[in-house]
Amino acid sequence: MSDLDGILRAVLKRHLSDAEVYVKRGRSRRLERTPVTETASTSQERAWAVRAGNRRASFFAAATGDPTPGGPWPEPVPGHSLELPEPAPLPAWSTPSDFDTPLIGEREGLKLLESLGRELEAELPKARLLRAVLEDGSSEAELANSRGLRATTRGRISTLYLEAAGPGRPAVSASLYVAAREPRRFHPTALARRLADRLAVSAAGAAPERDGGEILLAPNVASRVLAGLLPLLVGPGPGSRLTGARGRFGGDRVTLIDNGRFPGGAFEAPVDGEGVPTREVVLVEEGLFRQPLLAWWQEGAAHGEASGCARRPGWRDLPAPGPTHLYLKPEPRTPVATLLGAVSQGYYLIDATGPGRFDLATDRFALPVCGFAVQSGRASAPVAKAWLCGGIGTFLKGIVGVGRDLTFQPLDGMIGSPTLLVTGLELRAVAGS
Amino acid sequence: MPFSKLDTAAVARTLSQIAEQADDVVDAFFERREEVELAPEGDPGGLRVWREEGFAVRLVREGLTWMASRDAIEARPFAESLRQVARAISAASYPEPTLEVGPPDPVAAPELLDFPGLLSRAVRAHHVGFPLRVAVRRHRRWVQVVGPRLVAGAESESFYSCAVESSWGRYGALLPRLSGGAAEEIAATAVALFRARQALPPASFRGPVVLAPHTVAVLLHEAVAHALEADTLAQGGNPEAAVGVAMAAPCLDVLDDPSSAPEGVRRTTDDEGAAAVRRWLLRGGIVEQPLADALWARTSPVLLPGAGRRGTRHLPPGPRSSHLEILPGEASEADLLAGAAEGLFLPEASRGALDPLTGEFALHLPYARRFRRGALAEVVGPCVLRGRVADLLTRVVAVGAQAKPAGAGWCAKGGQKLPVWATAPSLRLEDVEVAP
Repeated sequence: MSDLDGILRAVLKRHLSDAEVYVKRGRSRRLERTPVTETASTSQERAWAVRAGNRRASFFAAATGDPTPGGPWPEPVPGHSLELPEPAPLPAWSTPSDFDTPLIGEREGLKLLESLGRELEAELPKARLLRAVLEDGSSEAELANSRGLRATTRGRISTLYLEAAGPGRPAVSASLYVAAREPRRFHPTALARRLADRLAVSAAGAAPERDGGEILLAPNVASRVLAGLLPLLVGPGPGSRLTGARGRFGGDRVTLIDNGRFPGGAFEAPVDGEGVPTREVVLVEEGLFRQPLLAWWQEGAAHGEASGCARRPGWRDLPAPGPTHLYLKPEPRTPVATLLGAVSQGYYLIDATGPGRFDLATDRFALPVCGFAVQSGRASAPVAKAWLCGGIGTFLKGIVGVGRDLTFQPLDGMIGSPTLLVTGLELRAVAGS
Repeated sequence: MPFSKLDTAAVARTLSQIAEQADDVVDAFFERREEVELAPEGDPGGLRVWREEGFAVRLVREGLTWMASRDAIEARPFAESLRQVARAISAASYPEPTLEVGPPDPVAAPELLDFPGLLSRAVRAHHVGFPLRVAVRRHRRWVQVVGPRLVAGAESESFYSCAVESSWGRYGALLPRLSGGAAEEIAATAVALFRARQALPPASFRGPVVLAPHTVAVLLHEAVAHALEADTLAQGGNPEAAVGVAMAAPCLDVLDDPSSAPEGVRRTTDDEGAAAVRRWLLRGGIVEQPLADALWARTSPVLLPGAGRRGTRHLPPGPRSSHLEILPGEASEADLLAGAAEGLFLPEASRGALDPLTGEFALHLPYARRFRRGALAEVVGPCVLRGRVADLLTRVVAVGAQAKPAGAGWCAKGGQKLPVWATAPSLRLEDVEVAP
């Protein structure tokens, strides 16, 4: 690694009070299969970023290669202040053993993609994978700032993107994107089944004009709704907007947590992108709003304690507050079958089929979904091209059942939820208020 | 030019060592990029500078591609990458060509510092005032592609992007240069969005619509350019089967021509070193030449290479449009708005989406204006133009007489984000569905 102190000294000579150097090394393998092409690539990255400034002016410079004390550094621009965090005691941390696993091999990776195609066809004859991309990478980063903070982190993440077409013409399509710490956690049969379900309901389903009832949201749907609520949960701004007179944000089954150290999580790390220790933060506890997610420099701007939540996906990015593993706490004793059995008349929504619309000012949301109509706990008809619509407050207060199947999705950070049973929402053919 | 000292002959000789079979495609892609941004007022990191350089080596053999990329332009990593793509044993050694590149220029972008002020004044000239957060960025890129037999000329691109945020939305634009005219263009759009902020979406509507050049560019980028990329066509069958299909009204001529893009982003070769082609995507509404890169061109004699683009050295190239040109027709602005029926004028599109399998298409419009009896009338709020591509494009009944640069923006596909440019006239379509 580079002489970070030498670089800090050189930058601080420019009449600046704060400076930070971040150096990152990474390697990745990318495997892609389409019906006509197969691509295997490897990348090695090495790059750095420097932030420096004072209460009046600052700059940010980032480049590939190794940083040198001579820069060249841009001129700090007035009107853009910069302050950096102080060192803080680091709670005990041991690097997870799977950080050391080598990247997936070319043959192994291509076999995984090939098996996904086979499994999909087994689940739904004549369905085909249009595109499958597996990326597997690991990295190490080192950070030093002029206030004496020093940190090193490691990362290990794999992502899988799948795009598939169903049988018939015109064929319906479906895609999914998942992330895990290493590729062996991707289960071809489960993923193929999820795609096949999506394709099957999309081909045969229709949307009700307008209907309500009890609605069971699979983790993929519930996570998308939670991701839409992030502006309420991150930063000192509007977090309390949805709280009632007694601080109630949601039903008493709603406990929302963010944890940068979530065991086995894709972004599990002892410190955040500025070197501040990560920890578990309870944002909503049994429906009561406790605090928003606050970075160190936001402490005091809202009730609550700050945590290491400045994300830094890569050397090109400036650190910005956001969730790492934000999730709705599961209920370990409630299997999904119990929740489904409790639905007398309603819907089981298995997937979100596109981005949602969230209007926090008017407290409304609409999310495109697919799934099944349910009667007496059993699927009665496929549902597709439907919109899950309702009030955001209604969603949070209408959660009457929480499953145990916590699943994370790579959205804005890893956002996780178990299956949720919700009342008060509607399913519509057209998104609307 | 950073690559003027690069010994391309030595690189070509080295590459020839791994091109063992007659049909092998082998190339090295060198790139240097620089981005300089003036962040919105108050954000940390006032002037932000990103600089990167590196290369990728690629071998394509019998439909399989192996690629290795590095964040450095140095001899040893280059030899390592060759060994990786050739899948040679680690003891195998390849020559290490001297890879000398020019030093980066000093960091200076004084034009960025003036632009937010220019934009504020342009907004005030519309007799309105509202807070805006402005980020303006300069993008520069230099590319050199080397094959074992052919060394393309070095290429460079330089342009600007501007993102404007206000409490009622975000607007982004790509600009060939920063000027008073560019500031006025962005200000006019920001003011129009401001004035439409409380307009209610229209009720579901079917009738005539007139698309301004910006909206035409977004529509045809999604519905013609993406639809005619060889890899997109392959999702539904054989790409060459598209040639000769009547896809749009006979009055529609659409080309992709990287060599006539705005100055600063004009290209004579693509990101695979193949000569850029003035390509008729639609001639008289009929598909003539889909977009193809070197790999897809090898699958059929009908497909021509020259449209291979890559967003970064770390990802393989793919067939993409660069500069879409819609040829003007003969209709004046008055002709386009004429007629007894009430219609919708669509000045801006925020995004479009095409399902390549079903052909279903949606164009999202942040606002629109009604027109009746040849005159523009009240503003309506956000709405969506929907349809099936094959049906929608046959509904074009008139093409405006004046084509102008419009609709430049970022296009993301397959994880690669690329700038795209267009020159377009206005269009009138009949019997089109627009819904809230």
